[in-house]
This record gives sequence, C-alpha cells and structure tokens, in this order.
Amino acid sequence: MSVTTAAGGPIAHKPAQRSIARRIFDKAASTPGFRVGLSIFVVLALATALYPELSSIDPTKMDVKARLLPPLFLGNNWSWAHPLGTDQIGRDMLVRSLVGLRYSFLIGVASVIVMLAIGCALGTIAGYFGGRTDAVIMRLTDAQLSIPMIILAISVLGVSRPTIPAIIVVLGVSNWPVYARIMRSIVMTERQREYVRAAKIGGSTDARIILTLLLPLLLPPVLFTSVLDVARMMIFESTLGFLGLGVQPPTPTFGNIIADGRKYLLNAWWIATMPGLFLGLTLTSINLIGASLERARNTVHGGGEG
Amino acid sequence: MTRPLLALRNLTVAAGRAGSAKIILDSVSLSLAPRDIVGVVGASGSGKTVLSKAVVNWLEPPLAKRSGEVLFEGRDIYAMGGADMRSLRQRISYVGANPMGALDPTLPVGVQIVEKMRAVVPGVSRRDAERRVVELLDAVRIPSARNRFHDYPSQFSGGMMQRALIVDALVTNPALLVADNVTQPLDVTVAAQVIRLMKELTTSFNTAVLFVSSSLPVAREACSRILVMDGGRIVEEQSTEDLIDKPVYPYTRELVRQTPRIWGEPAATPPLNDRREVVLSLRDASQIYKVRKKAGFGGVNLVRAVRNVTFDVRRGDSFAIVGESGCGKSTLMRLLCRLELPSSGQILCSDQDIAALKGKGLLAFRGRLQMVLQDPFGSLPPRTSIGKILEDPLRTHRWRDKVRIRERVLKVMGEVGLPAELYEELPLGLSAGQRQRVNVARALVLEPEILIMDETLSALDQAEQFKLIDLFQKLQKEYDLTYIFISHDLAMVRKACNRVAVMYLGEVFELADNERLFFDPGHPYTKALLSAMPTLEQRRYRPEECLLEGEPPSPLDIPDGCSFRSRCPQAMNKCSRVQPSLTVRERQDFAACHLIVPPAASGDTGAAHRTMRRS
Repeated sequence: MSVTTAAGGPIAHKPAQRSIARRIFDKAASTPGFRVGLSIFVVLALATALYPELSSIDPTKMDVKARLLPPLFLGNNWSWAHPLGTDQIGRDMLVRSLVGLRYSFLIGVASVIVMLAIGCALGTIAGYFGGRTDAVIMRLTDAQLSIPMIILAISVLGVSRPTIPAIIVVLGVSNWPVYARIMRSIVMTERQREYVRAAKIGGSTDARIILTLLLPLLLPPVLFTSVLDVARMMIFESTLGFLGLGVQPPTPTFGNIIADGRKYLLNAWWIATMPGLFLGLTLTSINLIGASLERARNTVHGGGEG
Repeated sequence: MTRPLLALRNLTVAAGRAGSAKIILDSVSLSLAPRDIVGVVGASGSGKTVLSKAVVNWLEPPLAKRSGEVLFEGRDIYAMGGADMRSLRQRISYVGANPMGALDPTLPVGVQIVEKMRAVVPGVSRRDAERRVVELLDAVRIPSARNRFHDYPSQFSGGMMQRALIVDALVTNPALLVADNVTQPLDVTVAAQVIRLMKELTTSFNTAVLFVSSSLPVAREACSRILVMDGGRIVEEQSTEDLIDKPVYPYTRELVRQTPRIWGEPAATPPLNDRREVVLSLRDASQIYKVRKKAGFGGVNLVRAVRNVTFDVRRGDSFAIVGESGCGKSTLMRLLCRLELPSSGQILCSDQDIAALKGKGLLAFRGRLQMVLQDPFGSLPPRTSIGKILEDPLRTHRWRDKVRIRERVLKVMGEVGLPAELYEELPLGLSAGQRQRVNVARALVLEPEILIMDETLSALDQAEQFKLIDLFQKLQKEYDLTYIFISHDLAMVRKACNRVAVMYLGEVFELADNERLFFDPGHPYTKALLSAMPTLEQRRYRPEECLLEGEPPSPLDIPDGCSFRSRCPQAMNKCSRVQPSLTVRERQDFAACHLIVPPAASGDTGAAHRTMRRS
C-alpha cells in the first residue's frame, strides 16, 4: 500500500504557510475594533511622548493670572493656550494630564508585570509540582490574601519614601495571589494531559515543559484578563495618591491631580474630570485591542479561519 | 406470520432547519419479531445511534423526524400523546454505550433503578420494586446483589455497571430492548459475558433486542440477523451467517474483508530467532502504589500494579503486551519509558539500568526509546503548530541548526504520510488517523531504536488501523525498529506482532511467539481471552469451556496462590496455595500455570527462571 497517499483525509486547509502568531495578528488587524483601539492608543502615545516637550509648557509652572480657566468653548474666558483649561494655580491641564498619564501608565503596566511575574511563577510551580511545594506556596498565598492592600501600602510607603518603584512593588506584591490561584488551577489540569507526558518522554526537563509548552499555552488568556488589571492598578495608584502615599507633588499623576481637583469640583469640575477622561480613553483603546486579539486567537485556534 | 413487534416504515430523520437540513436517516425500514435479536452494523457516522434513539422516541433538536413511522405493536409511537408514550416506556427500553455516565453518582444504584421503575409503572410499591430489582441484579449475576443494591455507581466496575443498566432496562419487563453499542467500553471477556447474558434474557424475559454495534464480529456474536447501515440507509439485510459468507453490498464486502482473521491466515510476522541482541530487558520489575485507606485512621493500602515481570525484548521484535483493563499494562508502560521508577527489580536498556540514568545518559536513553501515545486528541498540544510539535524533541536533544531541524521534520512527515502543507497548521482540523501519524512522527523524529505503542490504534477505525500497521511494518524494515505494542486488541496483535506477553493483575501469565500463543495457548486465561474475542471465524476455543463468570479481583487484595483461580475453569486445590511461576514450555515460550509440565519434566520452577535469564 502506498503510504504517502494513505493520509489523504479531508483537509480543507489552504496551503497557508504563515505562522500562527502572524495569522492571529492579521485576523485581529482586519477588525474595526482593533483599528479604532490602535489609533486611539497611537494618538495618546504620541501625545504623551511629544506634546509636553514640543509645547514646552512646564506642567509645574504656575500662572496665577490664568487660574481656573475652563476648557475650550466652555464658559467665557477659555483660551487656545490651555485647551483643557487650567487648575487652581494656573497649571495647564492638558500637559499635566499627559505627563500624569505617563506616570500612571508606567505604574499600571509595571505593577501588573510584577504581579503577573510573581503570581504566574508561583502558581505554575505550585500547580506543576504539587504535593508539599503546592501546600507551602498556597499557604503563602493565603497569608498574602489576608493582608489588606491599603494597610500594606500605608505601612510600606509610610515608612519608606513613596517613590515610583516602591509604589509599583507595593501594588504588584499585594495583588499577585489571584494570578497564582488561576495559574495553579489551570496548570494542574493541563500537566496531566498526554502531550505533557509525550514531552517528558521526548526528554524535556520540567523547566522546559513549563517554559516552552505550558506557559505559551496558558499565559495568553491570563494576559488578556490582566489588561483589565492595568486599569485597576492605575485607579489604585490614584487611591494611594489621594491618601498622599502616591507619587509626591509636584510630579503630576492622575491620583494627585484628582486629589487636588476635589476641592474645586463645584466651580472647576474639569480639574478632576480630565485625568478620568484620559484614563477612560487609554483603557478603552487597550481593551479594544485586547478583545480583538483574543477573538482572533479564539477563531484561529478554534479552526474557524475564513 | 405474527405481527412484528417493531416496524419502521420509510423513517427519515434530518438534522437542522428545513432549508439546510442534513438527512441522517434516509427512508429506513425494518421489522423486528418478538424475541428476535437483530444487529445493526455500520461505520461511525452512518446513523446507527440516531436510529436507536429514533426507535425509542428520543430525538432531540436539532434532530427531527421528517417522514415515515415507527410502529410498535402496530401503533405509531410518534403519533402518541405524552401519557401514552410514558406508559409505553414500560415496554421499550434503551441501554447506551456509556455506562459510567448513565447513572447519578450521588445516589445508590439500586435506588435509581427503583425510582425509574416507579416512574414508568404506576402503582408499584417501593418494597415490590426493590424486591424485583434485587432479583434482577441477581439474574444478571452481580455478586451479593442485596448488598450491591446500596452501593454507589463509583463502586461498580465498568462491566458491573453495564449489567446494572441492563437491569435498569429490564426492570419493567420490556418487549423491546435497544442496545446501543453496549459492549464498546468493556473488556473482551466481560463483553462476552454481557452478550451471553443478553441472549439468555431474550428467552427468559421474552425480550426482543435491537443490537446496534460498530463492530461486525461483536454483532455476529449476539445476533441472528444483521442489518448493515451506510450513510443513513440500510443497505443490506441478511441472516448473520449468510452476511458473512456472501456479503452483497460493496461496503459490507469491504467490512467483511477487512475484519481481521486470527486463525484463518498465517501470521504476517514470522518468528525470529533468539540470537538477536537484547535491547530491553525487565528483571523482576514490580511497581507498588500506596493508596490511603478510605475508612479508619491512617494506614495505606498497597496496590501491586505490576508484579515481578521478567522478559526480554530483542532487536527487531514486535513485542505485544496484552491484557484487560486493570492488568497493569499502563503501569508497565510508565516503567518502560521511565516516567516512573520501579519499586523493585530492574529495567535494563543495553545492559544499563535505566533507573540509574541521569542528565546526558537519560537524554540519550530518551532518544533511543520513544513512545506513541493512546489518545489522538489529548496527546497533541492544541495550540502549537504541527511543525513546532515535531521540532520540539529535536530542540530538546540539542539540535540547533534551524534549516537542519526543518529538513528532518519534513522528512519524517513525509515518511509517516503527512503532507508538508501541514507544517504551519494547528492539529485542529486533523482526523484521528492523521493525529496519530503526527504522534508517530513525533516519536520517530529522534530516530529511536525502540518504539512503545500505547494502545495507539484503539481509537481508530478498522481501515485506518490497517494503514498504520502497514506503515509501522514499512518503517520497521527501513530503520530496524523494535516495537512494543501495549494493547487489548488481540486481532491487531495477531496481525502486527511476533511475540506476545499476556498480563493479568500485574503478572505475566504467558509469554510466547505469535503462532504458538494463538494456536496452542498454555494458560487458561489466554484461552479465555481467545474464546471471548469477537471474530468472524469458527472459534478454536469455546467460551462455554474457557470462560467463567466474574471479573478480575481488585488489585488491592490479590488472592494468595494463582490470581486467576477465581475465574479459571480448571482451578485445582494447588492453585489456591502455590503461586505458579513462568514455566518453560519450549525454547521461547513460557506460561505461569500449574498445568504446564516443562519439557524436562522436572517440575522445578528454578529451571524456568534460569532459562528466562539465558534467553
């Protein structure tokens, strides 16, 4: 019997020789959601990167004559010089928001990375090796869960100086147990699968199986959910800033802008609102990108490629 | 002529909405007389299961009846109201293929059957229902039925569960029993018992059986008349013997031709001489698992999964390890490929104890011994492209040059019959056969010397199995491979292997060349296996003589003496005291039974061991 023809099953695949990752990206890029998200993101990224420098406005420069100016076309004393108005001591809101976005975004992303790194590493190890390792790591997780975040933040940031790295570490350290638990449960089910056994027989070490087989398979869904946590972390940073434990003034972040604007909510609502607007825009764009990537990934991996 | 019990007239069933409906059953007509056993045979996807569900009025959306009628004792069951149909459920019963999933795990088995009986037969008192269920549990030979009545489904074995479900079906004394692939999940000896039981029940309970099966030999065991289905139509109907002797329809002819014969054909694999190099050798390998006791405080039960297994595999062998589920095949497989280390004894690969291997040596051993796994779906990582799956072992084994890796992978893909276009594809769209080829390719890519096949073919249909066996034989010639097949399918073993080890409860009961094992088995258990095996041929061993009722004892408490004596028709006094050891029958053939008299006639078991060492 001719063996080469024997496999002639019903393969309806086109001879698509693009790699899987490439196909997922192409598929996602063809959806309107991805394009809208990406364009908002690019505009924001360019603005935060370039505008504060190009406009050469100092975000901390006070201008008492131009204090509490409203945004464009609102009220009667708006000006082109300050498109989003100014705050109570005449600082330009647009520049402050954009610079604040830099710090907030940096803090959000970095703390999520810290969180993922600790949580996924511990969760994967616990789930993969099981037994005593698992018990120790999971009790550690429980202990961590029992410490309220705010108390941890107050004790750490109150004792040391609230610098940006310290804030990132505190936020990351106080939120990893959730990821540890998720990773542990999915790794536990996945490690008993036959392909893991096949890899072992193929000579792979445990580290190799975890790094090249399990993580690429299990991390993407976790990453997509963690995008939402970037938003949560930015808000937490605002909370810390509000308590005075965030990034210290005069460096603008969303937290201390909002904290400042609180007192003027009635006569200058835009001070507290503008950071929120940028926060919303950033998160919408990230979520749009994330969601379309996720959907594309599911269709490609689900075989529904058209 | 009497009125048929069941008659289908031009029954057409379709799936999906009217516009784009797919016809599943296409004008099926059949009739079934009381006390008849009629088989329905067909490939997967031919509409057998839909037919069996249509007969009991259990079509769920998107399936819907288009036209035709199902007459039960002259009345169309699809024209009946709900109440009439419910009372008819007394007379029609259904047994499915998945016994473990059919009962609620949180309620005792007996209680569930009583509940069913009281639901369909109004006015039965609980006490009467219970008495009837216990009676029937006894009738299907569930040991100590009264106690078993209160057991939970998890405490039943697969075979017992299937019998409990037959009780569930028979409890209302039905006139018609629809058995959909009932023997599929069972071991051959247990399946043979279930079929024998169903045949007895037709006479003692006046029940007609519609026996749906994907395997022609199994249907032959059970039925007097067989219908063949192909693509939703009934294409042939003949009495069983005629169908096998003179199949008419091309599909049936193909089916009969492809069903493997055990005794009718000479072995495809000639016995090889015993002077070849030993590549893998087991020395008294045992594996004991500790299981925490459920009752009481602390303490562990010892599960002796593999007990003192000793054999040699020589270069070029196709060595088969056969046995029923729970006999320790899978544990042995894990020991052989060093996923676990034996708790005592040794496994030698080229005179090296594989338990002592570490680092580089272990990696080299992994390169020499590879395994093809059982489940074509679970064994491929779902989100990795096929090329990457096949590259992975090479990268693990320190291949660095991308071009060379790709070349090697493409070469192996060609050898196992996978088109090169699949390189960047996910395993999603592949059929089971193609997935199994990917599995074979993954094992072959390292150019191993020994390949372990763990039930590699059992998930595939007959035609695909044959193609893969041919492929294996071609590859064996080309690369001088040694195969170890782990299987429960004796027909496949007969076709593909030259040497066979029969295992029961963790022990090797018989070790012999293919020809010898199938024509002159030394152990009563081997005979029982052969007698229970569904086949289209005249049997050499009659199940009535070779097979006793009962199931293997639990590996938790293996009886003293010979572990097979509880089911052995030839058990003697000696068997309960002395455990037989592997005894030489001839140069290369061994069996562990007191009935075997070694050719030297010394009766000295030490001689057997010495011979084992030498061979």
